[in-house]
Formats: sequence, structure tokens, C-alpha cells
Amino acid sequence: MNGYGGSILRVNLTKGEVTKEPTPADVARDFIGGRGFGIYFLFKEVPKGADPLGPKNKLIISSGPISGMLVPGGGKCDWTTKAPLTGGYASASMGGHFTAEMRYAGLDSIILEGISPKPVYLFIDDNKIELRDASDLWGKGTFAVEKQFKEKLGEEFQVAVIGPGGENLVPYACINHDYGRQAGRGGVGAVMGSKKVKAIVVHGAKSIPVADKDAYRKAGMALYKACKDAEGFKDWTRYGTTIVVSWCDEVGALPTRNFSAGSFEGGKNIYGPVMREKIVITDKACFGCPSPCGKYSRNKKYNSFVEGPEYETIGMMGSNLGIDDIEAVAQANLLCDELGVDSISTGNVIGWAMECYEKGIFTKADTDGLDLKFGNVEATFALIEKIARREGFGALLAEGVKRAAQKVGKGSEKFAIHVKGMEQSAYATHNATAMLLAYMTCDVGAHHNRAWAITYDLQVGRDKVVPEKVARVIWLQNFRPMFDVLGGCRLQWVELGIDRDLYVPALEAITGIHRTWEDLDKVGERIWNLTRLYWARENEGFGRAWDMPSPRFYEEAPTSGATKGQITKLEDVNKLLDMYYEQRGWTSDGLPKPETIEALGLKAVIG
Amino acid sequence: MPATLRLGASLRILIGGRDEYAVEPGRSVHETLVSLGIKPELVAMVSVNGEMQTKDYVVQEGDAVRLLAVVGGG
Ligand code: SF4
Repeated sequence: MNGYGGSILRVNLTKGEVTKEPTPADVARDFIGGRGFGIYFLFKEVPKGADPLGPKNKLIISSGPISGMLVPGGGKCDWTTKAPLTGGYASASMGGHFTAEMRYAGLDSIILEGISPKPVYLFIDDNKIELRDASDLWGKGTFAVEKQFKEKLGEEFQVAVIGPGGENLVPYACINHDYGRQAGRGGVGAVMGSKKVKAIVVHGAKSIPVADKDAYRKAGMALYKACKDAEGFKDWTRYGTTIVVSWCDEVGALPTRNFSAGSFEGGKNIYGPVMREKIVITDKACFGCPSPCGKYSRNKKYNSFVEGPEYETIGMMGSNLGIDDIEAVAQANLLCDELGVDSISTGNVIGWAMECYEKGIFTKADTDGLDLKFGNVEATFALIEKIARREGFGALLAEGVKRAAQKVGKGSEKFAIHVKGMEQSAYATHNATAMLLAYMTCDVGAHHNRAWAITYDLQVGRDKVVPEKVARVIWLQNFRPMFDVLGGCRLQWVELGIDRDLYVPALEAITGIHRTWEDLDKVGERIWNLTRLYWARENEGFGRAWDMPSPRFYEEAPTSGATKGQITKLEDVNKLLDMYYEQRGWTSDGLPKPETIEALGLKAVIG
Repeated sequence: MPATLRLGASLRILIGGRDEYAVEPGRSVHETLVSLGIKPELVAMVSVNGEMQTKDYVVQEGDAVRLLAVVGGG
């Protein structure tokens, strides 16, 4: 099959067996790859009600047809599972070089099933595939393990590894790769930990069949040229996602002290240019990327090296915790990566704990003696460690912000900033209605990468609640995650603004199938609806209530910054949902209607 | 000599219109944007002759000003 490695690798950890099967052509046709494969296999193969950390859950790692190809940013793979953080759908995208090697080993997906009786790692050297003992690696940090594999096996092996966070089943544990890239959100690392898989190492030696080599080269070169010619190419490459920090601060979108405001008085100290000057030593890219957003930093203050921090971590570990020191943020980033916990969720939950402390809900008697004032760097470092190891007070925070707030009560649920149990990422949404809706309806919980619409909010009018905004969010939700289906990076389209139509001939040359963006958007819509049906299948009573944002965004206006005094009214929150459900073809409780399911060709899939 | 002001693709797509303007020096980037009918808050990054500047930067003769919007947010 052109454009595919051709095989799905099943790893039965309970029995210690690995088997290959051909990649099903009909699934490739209807779901293409990446997160399309992920939700398809999750829905079909993981039984209803499976415990996310039990043997019946699966961890599905999928590449897409542009992964490992000469298409800008073709270094992404998708990690799908039933989320321990939310009890719903999780799909985390990981950059780096893992997916390319996986494809060269002929693998379109790797499906981890069951639970190993002892710690193992999955070794893939092209056709040689084995489960090997990892008892001596268990307990180690991610960097040490990656380094050990690289030294032992060679640089050509790519490593995806969990840290203590994943081993200790922290529901927002991540998977680390390439010394600083992550499959970050939803707890994919905890699922890998529950299966007792410390790492996957992969190297491949095959080529991927393409339908038309000349057309492929031509289309690929056109894409690279468009990136290089883009007006923002130089600036974007220089600053990466940190370019956004100052602007978010300016427009009131920079999460500050547990999202109580959107502008930070210490913001200037964590802006992109400050970071570039103080700590960045070089740029770092994923496979085949012409516009490296990764920034590699030498942190003299803490005598350490780290990839990052990027925008999300600066927001969550910086302003959201009241920390205005970029070196401290970089160190917190390093600790999260080394210990294998998602820096977004970790920053969010620590922000909540700091607010509890400020309000007197926690005292030092609760926090193992830590003075949890906003801005306390040392306490932040200590908490990251405690969370990953589930030690003392860290064990509570390791539950995730929703469950921790439910346990603690005392009104703390009101400022637990999440949707569906996933901690909100680094955009404050007090008065940005399209972005708020994007978070409310995101298919994994409060994550920004499916639809991001703050600039659109500013253009249309930030408090406007109009059908065009809803349509924009839906279009973005269908279209942007298609990059996670194709196995590529969206940032070349998103930030460099290259014409998305340039991907069409590349995809056709690789797969031999002509698909316009209209066709691809339809696939995106099919996948979006299937993820929704998955949530509904797994959670009794699932519906509108699950889409509600934190009350902070409709009850408490910030008292400072660019959004001072601004808020989204609760009636507007509901209006947004009404319009969204209607435009999606869903019921007023947010469930896909039978005719929508039928029109998207999902009837046969859901059975 | 006027300065040139170029809009990155993301900004151009957002607001439509031209991708390059000749502008008179002596006014801040913020004022220049307002005079062109571009909402200043849509601009996330101002680069002048390759260096990042704020919107308070006063445009000088011959400056090459590049403006970028953020449409993706990572
Ligand atoms: S833009 Fe960043 S995330 Fe995307 S491929 Fe390049 S380095 Fe990776």
C-alpha cells in the first residue's frame, strides 16, 4: 500500500508475544493514519468500561502517510489510549524522530496490549522485534535511560521512555523522547507505566513505497520552499513558540496565578527575547523540519541543559505560578521532563494548590511544610518531585486538579481549571469566547492544539457570541488535527502561513489517492464525531455538563491586566454550546444525532 | 525615504488586503497600524531590520518592518 509501512505491530505484554498484521486498507482509506488509526482501534478493540490502567486498555502509537517523508515536519506520531486522567479519549502528539524510524521498520501502528509481569522495553531493530527485561531501568529518569540506550545501541535508535511519573501511574504522566519532546497529555505515560513498559527503542531500515516518486520530490520541494519564503520564517525560527508570550501578556491571555488574570506584572522577564538572550544556545528540530521551534538552553543558574521551555511551559510554570524567572521556569521544565510528568497539567495543579494555600484552605501542615506562596520557586521544584513520586502532599496533587479539588472541597472546585478533568493549558479565556468554546469542546479536555482562536476573537470582537465564531472553531477542530492524522506538524501552516493546498499533491504523490482539503476536512469531522461517541460510550450520563468550563471564566473577572473586569456570561457559555451542537449535528445535550452518524459513515464502525 | 511594512502570511490572511505598505517614518508602529486600519492587538510580533521590537518603536527612515500575527498558538 503506497504511503504506508504496511504493518501493525501487536505487542501482547501479558504473554510476552509480538505479532505483525497487515495494515487494513479500508481503515487507511477512511481514517488515513495517526490519530485516525488511534481512535479507530481504540473504539473497536478496547472494551467498554475498560480500566485505563488495566490490562484491557491499549496504548496505540500511530504514524501517518507523511511521517518520515520529505514533507516539512513529518516527524509526528500519535499516542491514543483511554485516558487515566479523564476516563475518556486521549490522543497525544509527539514530535522528534521516533515516528520516522517506526515507519522505516515498516510499522504504521504499534499497539501495546495487556500487562507485562515485569518491567520490559520493546526493542525494534527493523525486523528484529523483542520484549527485553528493563528491571534495571525501572525507577530511572528519562534522560538517563535515553542516554544509556543511545550509547549502547547507537544514535540511529530512537527512544520513547517514561519516568517515575509514568511508573507511579500519575494520570498526567507523559512519554519523553529525543531529550525533550513529549507525548504529553492525558496520561499516556501512566498507561505505558501500567503495562510495565519502560521504553520503546526503534530503528528501521526499509523504505516507504510512494505512488509517484517525481511528483513526491516536486511536491515536497514546493512545501519546503514555501516555508523558507514565508515572511515569518526567520522570526519564527529564532523564537519558536516563545514568540507568543509577550503578546499573550498584552491581550490578557497569559495564565497568571492560577488563571485569576491574563496579564502578569513579571511577564517581561519571561518573554521570548529575554529567554533567547539569557539561556538559549541553539535551535532543535523534529525530523525533516525546516523551521525548528525547539530551543535548546544552557541554564547557568542551575547548571543544566534543557530543550525549552516553550510557550506552554512558560505560561504554566511561569506566570501561572507567579514565577518571573526564566531560568527557574527552564529548570521546572527539566524536572518535569526528567521525571516524566506533563508540564502543563503539573503547572496547572500546582497553581491550584498555591491558590488553596493563599486562601487558607491549605496550611504548612498540609503541604509537608512547604510555603506554597505564588512565586516560590523551591517549593515548585519540590512539588514536581513529590508529584512524580506520589510522596506526601504530592500524592494528592498527583490525582489531577479535578479529583484533588473534589477530595479537598471547601470551594476549591471553583478554581480547579479544567474541562472533562484535563487541566487547561496556557491560555486564559476570561473574555475570548471562541477560545473558551475551543477548550470546552476539545476532544481530550481543555487542550489548545485542536482549535486555537484567540486572534480570531480579537478580530471579530472578543465577547461576541455569534455563529461565525462557532463555525470557525468547528472548522479548526476538523482541520487542524488532520496534521495529527497525516503524521506531520501543523506549525508550518499555522505559524508560517504556508498554503495548505500544497500538502494535497504531496499526499497524492505518496499515497496515490487524490484527496482535496474538502475530503480531508470530512475525515477530520468523522474522527471528531467518533471521539465524541467514545466519550459517551465510556461515561454514563455524558453530555452538556461535561463541556462546561471552569466557573472562573464566567463568575470571576480578573482584577488586573488587559482583561480586568471582563468575563464571559454564563448565558453566553450556554449559547455557545447551543450553537455548537446545532452546527455539529448533535442533540441539545451534545451527542451526535443518528443522521450525523450515518452521514459520516460511522454506523458500521460503532456497530 | 519611506519605511516598508510587510505583513506575514498569517496576518495577511486574517485581515485580507495587501502584504506590503510604504509608510512614513516618525510614528510608532502602533500609530502606523491604527492609521492603516489594522487592529494593533492582532499583531503579535514586530521585527525591525531583523530585531524584535515593541509596538512603541518609532519607525525610522528606510526601516524594514515585519509584522506577524499568531493564528495557531502552538
Ligand atoms: S515546528 Fe517545531 S514541533 Fe513542528 S516539526 Fe518543527 S521543530 Fe517539530
